[in-house]
Amino acid sequence: MIQLTVMKQIICKSIRFLPVFLSVLFFSEKAMATQAHGGIEGVVAHQMAHIVFVGAMALLVYWLRQHGLVVNPGWRRIQYAAVFFLLWNINAFIVHFLEEQVDILDMAQIEFWQLRLQAQPGFEWSAWLYYIVKLDHLLCVPAMICLYSGLKRLLEAPASESRPGKMEGS
Amino acid sequence: MIITNLPIWIVDVAGSAAMIVLSLMCLRLALKLKRLDQSNVIWTYLAWVCYALCLFAFSRSAGHILKHVLVMTGRVNIWEAVRPLSGSINTLSFMVVSSVTLFFHRTWIIYRDIQNDKLALQSLSDELLFLNRHLERLVAERSKEVAVSERKYRRIFEVSKDMILVMGKDGIILELNPEGYAMLGLKRADSLNGKRFKDFFSDEKDWGRIEKMMERNGFVTNVEIELKRSDGARMGSLVSGSLDANQPGQEETIHFLVKDIEQRRMMEKQMAQADKLASIGQLSAGIAHEINNPLGVILGYSQLLLRNEKTETDRYNDLKTIEKHVKNCKSIVEDLLNFARSSKPEIKTTMINEAAEDVLNFILHHSKLDRIDIIRNYDERVPPMLLDEKKIRQVLINLLMNAGHAVGKKGSIKLSTEYVKQDNKVAITVADTGYGIEKKNLTRIFDPFFTTKPTGEGTGLGLSVSYGIVKSHGGEILVESEPGNGTIFTVLLPVVSPETGK
Repeated sequence: MIQLTVMKQIICKSIRFLPVFLSVLFFSEKAMATQAHGGIEGVVAHQMAHIVFVGAMALLVYWLRQHGLVVNPGWRRIQYAAVFFLLWNINAFIVHFLEEQVDILDMAQIEFWQLRLQAQPGFEWSAWLYYIVKLDHLLCVPAMICLYSGLKRLLEAPASESRPGKMEGS
Repeated sequence: MIITNLPIWIVDVAGSAAMIVLSLMCLRLALKLKRLDQSNVIWTYLAWVCYALCLFAFSRSAGHILKHVLVMTGRVNIWEAVRPLSGSINTLSFMVVSSVTLFFHRTWIIYRDIQNDKLALQSLSDELLFLNRHLERLVAERSKEVAVSERKYRRIFEVSKDMILVMGKDGIILELNPEGYAMLGLKRADSLNGKRFKDFFSDEKDWGRIEKMMERNGFVTNVEIELKRSDGARMGSLVSGSLDANQPGQEETIHFLVKDIEQRRMMEKQMAQADKLASIGQLSAGIAHEINNPLGVILGYSQLLLRNEKTETDRYNDLKTIEKHVKNCKSIVEDLLNFARSSKPEIKTTMINEAAEDVLNFILHHSKLDRIDIIRNYDERVPPMLLDEKKIRQVLINLLMNAGHAVGKKGSIKLSTEYVKQDNKVAITVADTGYGIEKKNLTRIFDPFFTTKPTGEGTGLGLSVSYGIVKSHGGEILVESEPGNGTIFTVLLPVVSPETGK
């Protein structure tokens, strides 16, 4: 309880600085004293965020298994959610990667319902791969469904099954 | 290639909408869980995960939907302006979800510790509650158990047939059981105040030995010592003891267990004596048989020669001397055979009291016992017995003659008989007030040819012969003597009824 209170206090203090942060973000002008962050930097940062997300999900799966929580259905479904999120991140990473490979794959929306994918000879597979990985919601939506199902099970299941009881594991 | 965009568009829009809806539903469930148990840090953690996922779903899905709407309505330039912001928020939301997820392990450990502490506290609380509710009964039960245990060990202390003695480190006796009082010759009324255990040791070296062993090992086992009773009597004992140093808040004590082995020692001595006499008896019988025949020949020839010899001649006198000494030798040989129990007893019904009185009268008539008090104490219950009367008379003569010799000119001799019904035995006692027998001689008095009389006054066969005769009747001959306080000889004979022969 003490730890929660401390966390709440930190968040409340952080919120006070939010207007300052937003002002800097939207109304900043070019200043020679600072480094510019245009171009490819945004993509790299986004890709790194995906890698961190993959690591976090992998660790969550490992910890859930290490603590033996996956023996009860609620936590097992949360584990499945983590696996789907992990796969989704890999999928999204591939999408962003292919979008940056303009020398190999050229993509353009020619009509509202039509897409032109032009791959260099020898890289035709990249067009099909791009088309499939663009359906990334087929991974993240199941992840959310598994999470929802896991939480529902934890809420409904008897205390002995879903609520963490006496912990004997590490 | 040109391909339809419709599947991607449908999945993107529907998926984005679903992500928003599902993230909100997850958050709702997580908050429900949290409300269910406010103190559960894991539920709080899951709520934070769901908050982060909501941020992620909103930032990403709203961006995707907005993009499609703006592109459909031909406002691509607006989307191009919003796109960096949407992408940045999206990136940040990933990081938030990842960061929150990374707290799982630490949160779980905190939760586990809290939960275990809670269970331990609950268990302790239950135990305290139970003790509080049942304290009176538990105390009563425990007190009862302690009382029963104390009584049990107190009984062992009280009824033990060995001495149990508790001694302080300074050597002072702290506690002594009733048998201990009896063994040390103390009365229960006597105070133990200041009495030391070592004062009851006959030999100080024994105490020193025990002290050294106790210091070295913390215990002693079966150390043979001689204790000195308060009346001065000595008693062979076996001592075991151990140091009790593990009583918190109490001084160290030493507990001793002392066994009286005087009876055992005496029995061992008697058995050794009996063995020795049996060996001597066998030897004597062998020699006596070998000597008896030549003596018979010598006696026969000397008597044959005497028949043809005139009296008053030197030759006649010489032959008479030979005859006399041969007869003496034969008498000694006969005594030796009696001691060795090789001659068969002539059993007949005997009245012990009458036989004793006859022997006493015979002694009084033939010896100078005028100034000695003769005390008779015959037990009328003594039944008729099957005995070799002649030999028993010989035993009584030997004992009374010895008593008369020991008393000297003045004193008393007491002759008594007693029927010991429980053992079905008759005890004949000859007690005198003479000079007694020295301790060193006590073990030798039944040895053949052992005598303290001057040379020529005794053969040293009287008690040996008596011993042999009594043994041949299945009885025992006991002696108690202290120098200066007289001697008591007790002959114990088993009663063999003339009617039943048993």
